[in-house]
Amino acid sequence: MISASDLRLTFGKGTPLENPALRGMSLTVNQGEFVTVIGSNGAGKSTFLNALAGEVIVDSGQIIVDNQDVTRLPTHKRAARVARVFQDPLAGTCENLSIEENLALAIKRGQRRGLTSAVKKQYLGQFRESLSSLKLGLENRLGDKMGLLSGGQRQAVSLLMASLTPSSILLLDEHTAALDPKTAAFVLELTEKIIEEQKLTALMVTHSMKQALEVGTRTVMLHQGQVVFDIAGEDREGLEVKDLLGLFEKQRGLEVDDDSLLLS
Amino acid sequence: MLSEIAFYGALETGLIYGLVAFGIYISFRVLDFPDLTVDGSFPLGAAVAAMLIIAGWNPWIATGAAVLAGMAAGAVTALLNVKLNILNLLASILTMIALYSVNLRIMGRPNVALLTEETVLTPWYDLGLAFHQVPVLLFVVVVFISLILLWRFMKSETGLAMRATGANPRMARAQGIATGGMIVLGVALSNGLVGLAGALFAQSQGAADVTMGVGVIVIGLASLIGGEALVTPSTVVRALIACVVGAIIYRLAIAFALNADVLGLQAQDLNLITAVLVTLAIVLPGVRNSVIGKFTRKKA
Repeated sequence: MISASDLRLTFGKGTPLENPALRGMSLTVNQGEFVTVIGSNGAGKSTFLNALAGEVIVDSGQIIVDNQDVTRLPTHKRAARVARVFQDPLAGTCENLSIEENLALAIKRGQRRGLTSAVKKQYLGQFRESLSSLKLGLENRLGDKMGLLSGGQRQAVSLLMASLTPSSILLLDEHTAALDPKTAAFVLELTEKIIEEQKLTALMVTHSMKQALEVGTRTVMLHQGQVVFDIAGEDREGLEVKDLLGLFEKQRGLEVDDDSLLLS
Repeated sequence: MLSEIAFYGALETGLIYGLVAFGIYISFRVLDFPDLTVDGSFPLGAAVAAMLIIAGWNPWIATGAAVLAGMAAGAVTALLNVKLNILNLLASILTMIALYSVNLRIMGRPNVALLTEETVLTPWYDLGLAFHQVPVLLFVVVVFISLILLWRFMKSETGLAMRATGANPRMARAQGIATGGMIVLGVALSNGLVGLAGALFAQSQGAADVTMGVGVIVIGLASLIGGEALVTPSTVVRALIACVVGAIIYRLAIAFALNADVLGLQAQDLNLITAVLVTLAIVLPGVRNSVIGKFTRKKA
C-alpha cells in the first residue's frame, strides 16, 4: 500500500519564478489497484510521481510505502519497492549496454550488487522467456546493443525491466506519450497484461482522458497540485470523457478552457 | 630509423601510459567524468613509491601503497563533486593543484633519485635478458593482469552498475544504484591505476620528480582517443585493448618523430606535438561525421 498525505512542494522558493507544484496532495493506493492519473499541464502529475520515486524530496507531508516512511529517502534507497517507466523511451534503458546487460541491471533492482558476473547463465532462460512474451523477436538478440532498438521496443523492454522483480508500486509516467499511435497501443496493451498477470499495484499518468477511463481500476484527477476528484468502481463504469469534464467543472465551479485537458 | 634501445624505450613508456589510459577510460568513458586529477596522482604514485623504497620497504609493497595513495586522491576529487556539488572538472583541478604541494611534502624536495635502490625491476635483471628488455617484459605482465582484472570488474554486477551510472544516471538511480558511491569508487579506481603507473615510471626511470605529472592527462587522452580510432571500442575488452594499443602507438610515433631528422623536431617540442595530435584526434571524427551527414538524411 502506498499512502501520500498532504504533500507540499514549491519550486524556486523566494524567486520571481516561485512555483507551488504540490499543494497538499493526498492519495492512498491500495494493494492491487491500477490508478490512472490525469490533469492539465502544471497540475503536478509528474512532480507527484517524482516525489513518490524520490527524484524530488517534498517540503512537507509524508509518503508511506508498505508501512515504511520513505519521505526523506533518495531514489536509489526506494528502488527495491518502487519500479518506474519513464516517458522518454531512451531514459529507461542504457543504449550502449546490451539487452541482457540492461535486464541484468533490472533483475538486481534495489539489491546489493557484488563482484560476481552480472549476466549470469541462470538468468538467460528467464530473460528469453520474458522477452518472447513481447513477440518482438528480441529473445534472439540478447547480446545486441539497446541503442539498436526502436523507441517502442525500448519502451516495451523498460516495462519488462520494471516488472522483472517484485515492487510495491509501479510508476508509469506518460510512458506511451512519445510513441506513435500504433506502438503506443501495443505498449499500453502490454502494460495492462503485465499488471494483471503479476497483480501489480500501479500508478499511470496519462494525458488522454479516454485512456484514463478505459484502463485501470480507478481514476484520479489532479489540478493545481491537489486531487480534485477520485473515482473508482461502479461510479467509474460507463463514464465518458464529457462526464469527466462535467465532474471537474462541478468540483471546481469553473469552466474548463484548458485545451490540454480536453485533448483525448 | 629507430634504434633498438629507443624502440624498447617507447614500448616501456607506452605500456606505462597504457595503465594511465585505463584510468582515463574509467573516468572519461565509463563515468563521463572529465578528471584532471591524474596530473597530480601520477607524480603522487611516484613520490610515495620512491620514498617508501628509500625507507627500505619492499618495492612491491611500496607500489601497492602508491596505488592506495592514487585512489585516495581520486576519492577526494569525487567527493568534492558528489558531496559538495563542485563541477567535476573544477573538483579535479582543485585536487591536482593541492597534490603539487602534497607531493613536495612527501618527497621533501623536488626530486628523488632511485638509481641505487632495489626496485620491482631489480630481480628480473638476473633472467639474462638485455638490459632494455627487462622493463618491457615486466610491464607487459602488469598491464595484462590489470586488463584482465578490469575487464572482469566491468562485467561484474558492480562494474555494470558503474557503467550505467555514467551512461544514464537517472535510470541507474531508479534501479537502486547509489550513483554518488559509484562515482567515488570509479574515480578512485581510475587514479589508483594512474598511481600505479607513476610508481612504475619512477622505478624504471630511476627517479621521482614533482613535475613528472605535467601533461599526463593529455598523453593519456591521446592514447585513449588514438586507440579508439584504431580499435573500435564496441565491447569493454576492445576498449581496454584500445587503451594499450593507443598508448604504445603514441609513444612509438613520438619516438619516430623525434628521431626523424628531416622533421627537425626536438625533445622540447613534445608537448606541442601531443597537443596537436590530441586536437586532431578529437576533431577529425567529427569532421568526418559532418561530411557524411551532408550526404545522408538524418533519421527522425
